[in-house]
Amino acid sequence: MNRIYKRLTVLFLIISVAGSLRAQDSTTTFKPFLEHRIIAGFNFGGTAPVGLPNTIRAIKGYWPEFTPALGYELSLRATRKWGAAVGVKLDFKGMGTKDEVMYFPTVITVKDGSSTGTFEGTFTGKNKTIVRNAYVTFPVSAVFTPNDNWRFSLGGYFSWKFSSNFYGTVSDGYIRNGGPTGEKIIVDEASFDFGRDVRKFDAGLQGGAERRVGKRLSVIGNLSWGLKPVFPNEFKGLDFPLYNIYMMLGVSYKI
Amino acid sequence: MNLRKPGFLAAIALFALLFTSCIKDAPLNPEADIDSFIVDKKYLSGDVFIDQANAKVLLYLKKNAYDSGIVPRIVVTPGATINPPAGDTLRFDSTSLQQYTVTSQSGKYHKVYTIEVVNIGTWAWDFEQWVIQPTSKYLYPIEPDSSQIWSSGNPGVSLAGVPKDPAAYPLRDTTEAYHGNYSAVLETRGGTTLSGIMGIKLFAGSLYLGVFDSKYAITQPLAATQFGQPYLGRAARFTGYYKYNPGATYQNKAGKPVPGVIDSCSIYAVLYRGTTRLDGTNIHTSDRIVAVAQLPDGSARGNFTRFDLPFVYKPNAITSGSMMMAIVISSSQNGDKYEGAIGSRLLVDSLKIIHE
Repeated sequence: MNRIYKRLTVLFLIISVAGSLRAQDSTTTFKPFLEHRIIAGFNFGGTAPVGLPNTIRAIKGYWPEFTPALGYELSLRATRKWGAAVGVKLDFKGMGTKDEVMYFPTVITVKDGSSTGTFEGTFTGKNKTIVRNAYVTFPVSAVFTPNDNWRFSLGGYFSWKFSSNFYGTVSDGYIRNGGPTGEKIIVDEASFDFGRDVRKFDAGLQGGAERRVGKRLSVIGNLSWGLKPVFPNEFKGLDFPLYNIYMMLGVSYKI
Repeated sequence: MNLRKPGFLAAIALFALLFTSCIKDAPLNPEADIDSFIVDKKYLSGDVFIDQANAKVLLYLKKNAYDSGIVPRIVVTPGATINPPAGDTLRFDSTSLQQYTVTSQSGKYHKVYTIEVVNIGTWAWDFEQWVIQPTSKYLYPIEPDSSQIWSSGNPGVSLAGVPKDPAAYPLRDTTEAYHGNYSAVLETRGGTTLSGIMGIKLFAGSLYLGVFDSKYAITQPLAATQFGQPYLGRAARFTGYYKYNPGATYQNKAGKPVPGVIDSCSIYAVLYRGTTRLDGTNIHTSDRIVAVAQLPDGSARGNFTRFDLPFVYKPNAITSGSMMMAIVISSSQNGDKYEGAIGSRLLVDSLKIIHE
């Protein structure tokens, strides 16, 4: 978390530097102004490990889920070329994947009333996972506008999760109770659901480019890279962290 | 519109990289199983069973094996090594512990298997000695010579994410005994969230002569409960003491209450031909069955009550050759169909098979 705060601090420094650059531009008659934009698009990407662990042996399929993004952005053009933006957006991030794993460690916590048990084991076989998480995202960016047609932004974001799905099946394999030396149990198909375990918050870096295609309309691409694992550290369903890494492709409309 | 900008291309390439390549080299195999332990049939009174959960190789031997020893053929996990080597002769003329250590290909994991020669001297049980399974913490009764001939559904329940505590399992010991200090208590329990996913809403308490083959625990639970131990000759009667209190609400497989139905317990013994165990799928139907002794009425009993059940032989039953005896006890008669009443509680003690 600290790391994220540091990055956000750096970002605000950039914004204030951008503000101070105003002085140089003020020789001409530039007046700072506010801009409002509606942004709509789709998120494509993955809730994925950064570098695949060696327990994942093959990726057999990948598809994006229905993951729209819709938001509003308020930006301040402080100088002719530099500014800052804040926004709020409804942000769905999701995907589906099919893969094959080997000796994949997992711990499933089972809560039944007041009692809590666990099942721990290593799975070898096929896996299908579907992720669809919905966030309210607050991006903060420094904005560089070199000319009338292009606009670039770089900054960070903070997301609050309001609904989460993380479920799937394991099939055509076996699980070993307790670990590699435990007894082997054949699994033809079993489902799992880790949706409730997804972390409430996400934060990370984001940046993008915008190309004007009409009077008020632009096409936009924005990459957001989560720096917080989507599952908390105490979650042991997967033994490696997953991050939200998504590219939003869409349009922005200046109002 | 023109999106041919390095940023976009780089991002797309990055995703392609993340999801299609980056597959690392396969990890070295961490598993260290004895997959099969093959012994010449002429030495065996029952099929070899490898208890993977407890790292034991259970051998049921004929007299000639004690005289000559055996040379088993052992197959381990690919890449793993075994010590002592598989070609060595196993002798049974001493009481020293015979063990095999299997080391995984990765070198990180070892599994030490103990050879256990199962030899049922007396067909009578008071359930005085119980041991705790080290990883899942369920109890099982052992014989005075420490061998294990009774099993239960506990190893299956352990896969459902129950708390690692003997009291969380359907079968355990109790000091509420008819004879001696302990008896066996079988209690029908509710399923867990995890077992519910598999459609299991109830675990009946069970206790049986035989083994639990974990391999089939999820795909074919009835095949996992393998009933029977090698038996010689003809049995006359199956006797013992039991006490039974059915749970309040009978439920069907879906977990829905069924009004008006009261749970009942089941206690029976089956004598059958062969060296391969019958299991939950065929214990009532196999044509290898020779004789059955069954408690006719599994209703409530407030105090320890004696039962004395005659073995009823099939007409023209052949009772020569290799035979096996199964005793199967459950706190819910339809527990094999995941029906019963949560809380049904059956105590059994002083069981005995009386030879003809």
